[in-house]
Amino acid sequence: MSKALRGMAVTVVAASMALTGCSDPGTGGGDGSGEAASWPAQDSDLSGTTLTIWAAQNSTSVPDSVIAGFEQLTGAEVEVETIADPYEQGVQTRVATGDMPDLAFWQPTASQLTALNASENLQSLDGAPWLDGYDPDLRDITGILDDTRYAALVSMPSVEGVYYNKSVFETAGVTDLPTDWDSFLALGRQLDSQGVTPFFEMGGDRWATQWWVQVQLADAAQDGLWDRVNANEESFTDPTIQGAIDGYDALIQEGLFNEDIATATFEDQGAALLAGDAAMVVQVNSFFNQLQELSDTETLNSDIGFFPISPSGNTATYIPDQTNALVAFNTGDDDQEAAARQLLSYWLGDGYQDFVDDQSTVSLMPDVTTPDTVPDALQAAADSVSGSVGSMQALAIANPDLYIYLADMIAGTKTPAEVAEATQAQFAELARAQGADGF
Amino acid sequence: MTMTDLRERPRLDGGDQPPAAPRGKRRRRSDHPLWFLAPALVVVFVFFFLPTLSNFFYALTDWSSFKSEISFVGTDNLTALFDNGTLLDALRVTVVYAVLVAVFQNLFGLVLALLLERDNRLNRVCRVLFFIPVIMSALAVGYVFQALLKPDGGLNQALGFLSGTEVQIAWLGNTTWTIVVVALIHAWKWMGLSMLIYLAGLKTINEDVLEAARLDGATWWDTFRRIRFPLLAPAVTFNFATALLGSMNGFDVVQATTEGGPGGTTELLNIFIFRTFGQGLFAQATTMSLVLFVTVTLMAVPVIWYLRKREDVL
Repeated sequence: MSKALRGMAVTVVAASMALTGCSDPGTGGGDGSGEAASWPAQDSDLSGTTLTIWAAQNSTSVPDSVIAGFEQLTGAEVEVETIADPYEQGVQTRVATGDMPDLAFWQPTASQLTALNASENLQSLDGAPWLDGYDPDLRDITGILDDTRYAALVSMPSVEGVYYNKSVFETAGVTDLPTDWDSFLALGRQLDSQGVTPFFEMGGDRWATQWWVQVQLADAAQDGLWDRVNANEESFTDPTIQGAIDGYDALIQEGLFNEDIATATFEDQGAALLAGDAAMVVQVNSFFNQLQELSDTETLNSDIGFFPISPSGNTATYIPDQTNALVAFNTGDDDQEAAARQLLSYWLGDGYQDFVDDQSTVSLMPDVTTPDTVPDALQAAADSVSGSVGSMQALAIANPDLYIYLADMIAGTKTPAEVAEATQAQFAELARAQGADGF
Repeated sequence: MTMTDLRERPRLDGGDQPPAAPRGKRRRRSDHPLWFLAPALVVVFVFFFLPTLSNFFYALTDWSSFKSEISFVGTDNLTALFDNGTLLDALRVTVVYAVLVAVFQNLFGLVLALLLERDNRLNRVCRVLFFIPVIMSALAVGYVFQALLKPDGGLNQALGFLSGTEVQIAWLGNTTWTIVVVALIHAWKWMGLSMLIYLAGLKTINEDVLEAARLDGATWWDTFRRIRFPLLAPAVTFNFATALLGSMNGFDVVQATTEGGPGGTTELLNIFIFRTFGQGLFAQATTMSLVLFVTVTLMAVPVIWYLRKREDVL
């Protein structure tokens, strides 16, 4: 019996090695990235072609108007497949096992394009017909890895900044918005002395904790901080990033945040700002979408405002998310790949006006008008995008779980120094796995 | 079920069968052809043995989402993981969690079994009610409890109503006690299964023995402590081993309630593995699950050996 077992074990190992062939099944079939791709006309006939788009739960209805228009124009069929959250993990796992759609919503940042192994798995979008239509400030802001464009930006990238309650400011007699970090903190302390909770943070849901650190790094980011971190010339434990973590911790210790900071959730945060229980929240665009769930545009326009903040001024920090962009896959089938490029051409071409109207979103193209249904705070966030600097997600080659370690700090299980150490250790591990120089 | 097997076997062997074939092996040959096992074996091979063996193999490579080639790196992953304290932290949390679940689940299951031991209509209905959580989705259970245990959730509202003051306890936000709370939720979900097995165990205890004890003047507690609990040993073995080793692989209940928070105090190894896999570090995640596999195996041997030893009294 034991001999038989041993024999079986040997067979299994041999079989599994032969099956996997010691290679990653998630390797793209095509070799399109090297050659200049052709761009079919937007209305070329695609009868009999079926394109698949992967989307997350919150982006699954984003392409509705585009799909309707494209199907009518070309005769193609476009299917949206919703991948369960956490979306990025789901997509990466599927791609790793060799499963690919024609297109997918994807965060167009360097770290996330690297995570998909862009040079192997994604089509190059260099020379795309829609590029000249973009606002020149936005054209090259994201979606590019190692000088190749892999992602098509379809909506205004999200930015980190301050959402505030206008009537709380009014009651407290605040008329001028902060013009730099010092005046921002001074305003917080003034509100605190008047008995108002200045800032609201969601330590329970964790993911927004990193924005406070990142906006403090805006000046350093402009000065090439993330290039140095990427080359392992500077670390999270060095004074710049450690200082931002320490600064955040000091403000929490000072009592400038909500009392339930350790357990508060994303929903709590939105409700608190709307109700005026807290004056300000450092957040990204999806926070405003949350407010839209809770209230109507008219109320939001009169109650909620937005301003960007950075150490020396009002520079915003941009962080494009998965709803902002799409990538096209190297599926190995030339016709499918061309059809996917054609859909993108239509999306950012003849279909773009319908898209921004349908989504009530800010247009990236000067020739396409933004609908007047876009709320003021979102428009203000969009206005801050040109001239903004990249976030860690946008510029660093890897995206460590800084937010989890910061939430640990808020819960009291990590010191600020341990937060930086854990983040650096994870960053180095990811960089090593990528084969980055210097790690 | 195991309980019944263990206790019935000696009687079968020595009972109504001819003494010439005490084990009955020879005569069973004609029952079913061996190849009937083939479909089951194929499924086990493809969906269990093959992945487990690939697990060993991939743990020694640098497989990640960042590159197409997979190369052999030896034990690099293992050394890196042990150098970084997070793995040991997660392993410690996992063992604490598993022990808590095993204790709570068995305690609840045994108490329920004793309470619902008699066969009447009310007890039958109660048994079904307590078994329902077992067949519920673990994620659903987790989300229901997450809503109940929020600072403004149902439990605090009920406590506030009873005490007449506003109660704002963050049940899932305490870095010391939340692991106990999530272990209680896990135990609550599975206690119905333990109950069922303890009930089956209690049913097999010979009524004559208990009657003799009662005639000798033994109290309820005496009969439980000296007769019934020792005779339940096989059920304890099964329940304790499955609860302990099963919750070492815990993930869903904790992911739905705390996601490993607050402050990482409920980050089970499987949650850490999930997070690492999500970062695209497939080989590292594989190595961790290998560590978990080995840990569970190492724990299983002494635990089951000790529990089986308790059965020697039978």
